[in-house]
Amino acid sequence: MSSFDHLMMTTPSTIALPRRGVLQELGEILTDVSQARGLIYQLTLRDIRIRYKQAAIGFAWAIISPLVIVAAGVIVRLVMVSMAGQPFGMANAAAIMVKSVAWGFFAAAIGYATHSLTSNWALLTKVYFAREVLPLSVILASTFDSLIGAGVVALLMPFIGWTPSWALLWLPLLVCLLFSLTLAAGLFFSCANLFFRDVRYVIQLLLTFGIFFTPIYYEPAALGARWIVPQMLNPLSPIVEGLRLSVVDGHNLLETIRRASDGALIWSPLYLAYSAVWAIGGLLVAALVFHRAQFRFAEYV
Amino acid sequence: MAVQAPGIVFDAVSKKFRRGEVHDSLRDLLPAVARRVLRRSTAAPALTADEFWAVRDVSFSVSPGQTLGIIGHNGAGKSTILKILTRILRPSAGSYTVHGRIGALIEVAAGFHPDLTGRENIFLQGAIMGMGRTQTHQKLDEIIAFSEIEQFIDTPVKRYSSGMNARLGFSIAAHLDPDVLVIDEVLAVGDYAFQRKAFGQIQVLARSGMPVVVVSHQLDRVAELCTHALLMSHGGVVCSGAPTDVIGAYMRGVGSAGAGASESSPLTMHAAELIDGNAVPSGGSLRIRIQGMTLSEIARHVEPVGIIVRSAQTGEVVYATGTSVFDLTFPIGEFVLDVELQMNVQPGIYLVDIGVWDRAGETQLLVGPSLNVRVVEARTFLGPTNFNSNMTLRQT
Repeated sequence: MSSFDHLMMTTPSTIALPRRGVLQELGEILTDVSQARGLIYQLTLRDIRIRYKQAAIGFAWAIISPLVIVAAGVIVRLVMVSMAGQPFGMANAAAIMVKSVAWGFFAAAIGYATHSLTSNWALLTKVYFAREVLPLSVILASTFDSLIGAGVVALLMPFIGWTPSWALLWLPLLVCLLFSLTLAAGLFFSCANLFFRDVRYVIQLLLTFGIFFTPIYYEPAALGARWIVPQMLNPLSPIVEGLRLSVVDGHNLLETIRRASDGALIWSPLYLAYSAVWAIGGLLVAALVFHRAQFRFAEYV
Repeated sequence: MAVQAPGIVFDAVSKKFRRGEVHDSLRDLLPAVARRVLRRSTAAPALTADEFWAVRDVSFSVSPGQTLGIIGHNGAGKSTILKILTRILRPSAGSYTVHGRIGALIEVAAGFHPDLTGRENIFLQGAIMGMGRTQTHQKLDEIIAFSEIEQFIDTPVKRYSSGMNARLGFSIAAHLDPDVLVIDEVLAVGDYAFQRKAFGQIQVLARSGMPVVVVSHQLDRVAELCTHALLMSHGGVVCSGAPTDVIGAYMRGVGSAGAGASESSPLTMHAAELIDGNAVPSGGSLRIRIQGMTLSEIARHVEPVGIIVRSAQTGEVVYATGTSVFDLTFPIGEFVLDVELQMNVQPGIYLVDIGVWDRAGETQLLVGPSLNVRVVEARTFLGPTNFNSNMTLRQT
């Protein structure tokens, strides 16, 4: 922390307006964000504190919201299997739990991030700091909530007959991709909502019904072989499917899975690569868009 | 902290804003994108019909040890300059340099969250203003002590009075240790006692050698605090220089000065000078020498040389007199008039306007020279007027 103070004290800032290279701009973003570590910490702490401070049930919130998503998923799934005349397996329950935590994180983080700039308009017009900090800190606060939810799921899983496998090693990569994708969307939508106030309604719609367009409660193959690839175009789909296959089924994600009956491509590492392109490329593009737009925030907000 | 040379340099900075409603729904996105693409190709800094210059071609520099006061009417562009300085806004044209970390005493409680306690908000606001956590820890006791709200420091800020809010906000901002200080209209936070304390703290900061920029409508404070001043009007710099003169120019409204003589004035005045300079201690004597020429016989109802003293802070006339009070007669030809005024008023900036008045018609026949006087603290009395009291003590 002391070296950080030193850095801030001695950097002269000349603001002229030359066109800079993309790499240089990305470097600038990284420096800005890393210099603002202290602020990110304080803002994340603020969001966590106020979320639990006045709420009657406090930290139980972090468990209740994924529980509701899981319960809804179990009902939907029960309806599906009973109509198909199949039994409701424990693997189904485990899959819904794991995917629900992922979706819950994505939806909450995007929801908060979209409003993160507009709800802090007083700060935006009064004080300068790296603006990336606002969406980033609400996403980090959502990460904290989701970690509690994930912890509860991890505790429950052994009771429904789940056993860990080596494929769990895929989990960190999948979590990173999910975080990166969420951050990309959060940066982009927060910025867009600042300039165009109806973005929030689009996001609301997306978050309410997005769960039905993402294979959270069902597997993509349920719609038939032809519809697997179109569903996988949603960059979130390969990530949640990857979570199900590696964490619940213990599958090595480098291996392709084809359904024996009709040869449907249930899993391919290319699916994951496609998501990774969205997560990383999206983050780079969103960060650049955000960075370039941030000097107009105070004028438009 | 090796900061030499000017700490702040503004080089021909301009900023334009859009008047009226800005497009802010998706319906407007496509036309807006199209417009932006088209505009990039032209890239001229010209204004479109609905734009205006909030700041136009402003240049100045502030060196360490200097304090610059920016004054001007509402909407003159003062705060826009501060927002450019603090990087909140980016100029439309021109460039600027700021050496080191900027500490801003602007809207000092902007980052407070109502649900967090005072103590939690100190860390939050400190971080927003660029203070590290260790630094905040070190300063915590000092900040709380300065704010004088120790007993409420663990109470959520939403239960604070607005004065307590402002006190805490100011205390945090005043303990930032910046390299460059920017102050916008926070000279009036809290009650009278805290205002004095806050102003004292600002003086300590300003005199510690860092460059300081102050925006305020409290002109006497600007006069007391600043080494230089800048008068702005409609985005442009009208004049700059010593605070006393700039404040005088502002109070008179530069445009209307030098209205000149009407034909009916029986005398003219060429010059007026302050013999001992423009600073005088409160209660001390101000000596003015006026040179002029009598052109024709002066009617009984005409005040040949009238003097009006106004307070720059309030604009109120605090004193008026004239040569007729002293039964002076003006023979035709050149004259030199020496005037002595005992400045029995509180410290501040005073404007001395000299002219010829027609007492019968209550019209001004000649707008003569104007002087700006700075009355400095002398600690001889309290209250608005000096009664020149005498005290003797006898032992009985």
